[in-house]
Amino acid sequence: MSASQVMDPYPSVLHKDENIAKGVELVMEHRYRNIPVVDDNGCYQGIFGVNCLLRLVLPKAVLLERGLTTVPFVSDTLRDLRLRLKEVEDKPVTFCMSHEAPVVAPGTPLVETLLLLYHARTSLPVVDPDSGCLVGVISYWDVGAKILEQEI
Amino acid sequence: MQHAVSTGVVFGWDPMWFSGVLFVLTYLVILSDRINRAIVALLSASLMILGGVLTQQAALRGVDFNTLGLLTGMMVIVAITRRTGVFQFLAVWSAKQVRADPWGILVMLVLVTAVLSALLDNVTTVLLVAPVTLLITDALRINPYPFLFAEIFASNIGGAATLIGDPPNIMIGSAVNLSFNDFLINLGPAAVIVLLVTLIPFYLIWGRSMYASQEDRQRVLNYNEWEAITDVPLLWKSLLVLGLVLTGFVMGHHLNLQPASIAMSGAALLLLMDNLPGKADDQSRSVNASFSQVEWVTIFFFLGLFIIVHGVESTGLLTMLADDILSWTQGDTFVTSMAILWGSAVASALVDNIPFVAASIPLIKSMAATFGGPEGLMPLWWSLALGSCLGGNGSLIGASANVIVAGFAERSGHPISFLRFMLGAFPLMILSIIISSIYIYLRYL
Repeated sequence: MSASQVMDPYPSVLHKDENIAKGVELVMEHRYRNIPVVDDNGCYQGIFGVNCLLRLVLPKAVLLERGLTTVPFVSDTLRDLRLRLKEVEDKPVTFCMSHEAPVVAPGTPLVETLLLLYHARTSLPVVDPDSGCLVGVISYWDVGAKILEQEI
Repeated sequence: MQHAVSTGVVFGWDPMWFSGVLFVLTYLVILSDRINRAIVALLSASLMILGGVLTQQAALRGVDFNTLGLLTGMMVIVAITRRTGVFQFLAVWSAKQVRADPWGILVMLVLVTAVLSALLDNVTTVLLVAPVTLLITDALRINPYPFLFAEIFASNIGGAATLIGDPPNIMIGSAVNLSFNDFLINLGPAAVIVLLVTLIPFYLIWGRSMYASQEDRQRVLNYNEWEAITDVPLLWKSLLVLGLVLTGFVMGHHLNLQPASIAMSGAALLLLMDNLPGKADDQSRSVNASFSQVEWVTIFFFLGLFIIVHGVESTGLLTMLADDILSWTQGDTFVTSMAILWGSAVASALVDNIPFVAASIPLIKSMAATFGGPEGLMPLWWSLALGSCLGGNGSLIGASANVIVAGFAERSGHPISFLRFMLGAFPLMILSIIISSIYIYLRYL
């Protein structure tokens, strides 16, 4: 059994030219943690998700490598965070998508897939290794449902 | 001083040529930035021994453990102190003192950076100040470039003021047995003058047009700087030890205490105060964490470099070079001082100033006879210190602190281009060297 048998083959996706406002809308509406980003040919580009959102509303200085590790003295309000998000809403989702999220191939064995899912702690994009195209997404819920379907 | 040369060099090469070529190659490889500089220095130091220029014993005699001890001790003290949040407190507090006015903040951050750089090392200072600067400029919605640019200048100028402010000063002070007070009294006034004069072009270029809305300024004013202090007991311990160490630097020379002993004693005391009465396991973790903050790349780079330079020195090459320089300057103190000041400034702007200073020290020492003994060399030492510290402002690669700030700027989405920085910085660096030339002339010649 492999990843292709537990994936959702019709996941919600974002096109790389769609803006951050659209990405935020999708994330908030469906409470997604991550959404795959694809190009015109459906090829996988990266993921946009709640971590991107947090990165956009936090001051840049707190996210820098070797930067500030704690900022208890900063008293930004919700409005300040909203203003920070507004400044980048029109930028494409590629502005803050992650390229480092793990992906699996359709043929990745089931247990290996679950192990990756366990470590990633978020849905896994399933990407065809030859074409680079997104063929599905594996979430906890898809896998959980498939396991519970089994008769014992 | 040729006693350190061992009996033979591999393949029968002339030791002078071998060590000279090795030194130049080392410099070039460091300049290329392709291999970590600590690796390059250690490898060259090994070749200096394996090649037969130095024996192991002679190589170790060339290592200035006073410099290494001072650097390491201060790094440990700062690593513990920074956990208290006191440096963020200082930066935020200073911004609020000027009601979050952008130009006022720039001046205050320049002063904080300069003072901290004089008391700590420059890299540590900018690592502490630059992120807070980016936080404040982000809140004010203004371009951080002028602030980061000014902080680079402040760190190098402030570092020039004291024995412990910048590695070249540490090396010079250690090699010539100059005290903390010697540096403060002789270079402190020069650094203050250069810093104040440098603020004028900063104001004319950026200060006049800086603007932040009242709403954005209020955001900074809402910061509670006291919240930055995350560990009050540790803060008091750190301030106590820092105070003792600084007192030790000021008084220690009369008591025949070397700076490394003072810094290492301070580090040991603060480690003790930080870890008692913790359990053994917790102590191990805590001490490891403090030691991991030491910049070992810098320490091993120095270690290798001292051996390389000692190798070159032991062959008599530096004495020969010194004689050439003296014949060119005809042993005139003014001309020699200016040659050292300007030469070290330009060299420091373009290449790593540490190997340059390491090689210059024995070179200048060998000029003592011409200038009537060690006392006659003092203008030359101050010229070397000012030139190598202030020269670091000339380009983005002129000093480690510059590279650190540039890295922060890039990661925050405001990259500082090499050329743009140099177009602004090099003329200002020249201005600082002109001021230093006048200072040296009026005070010592």
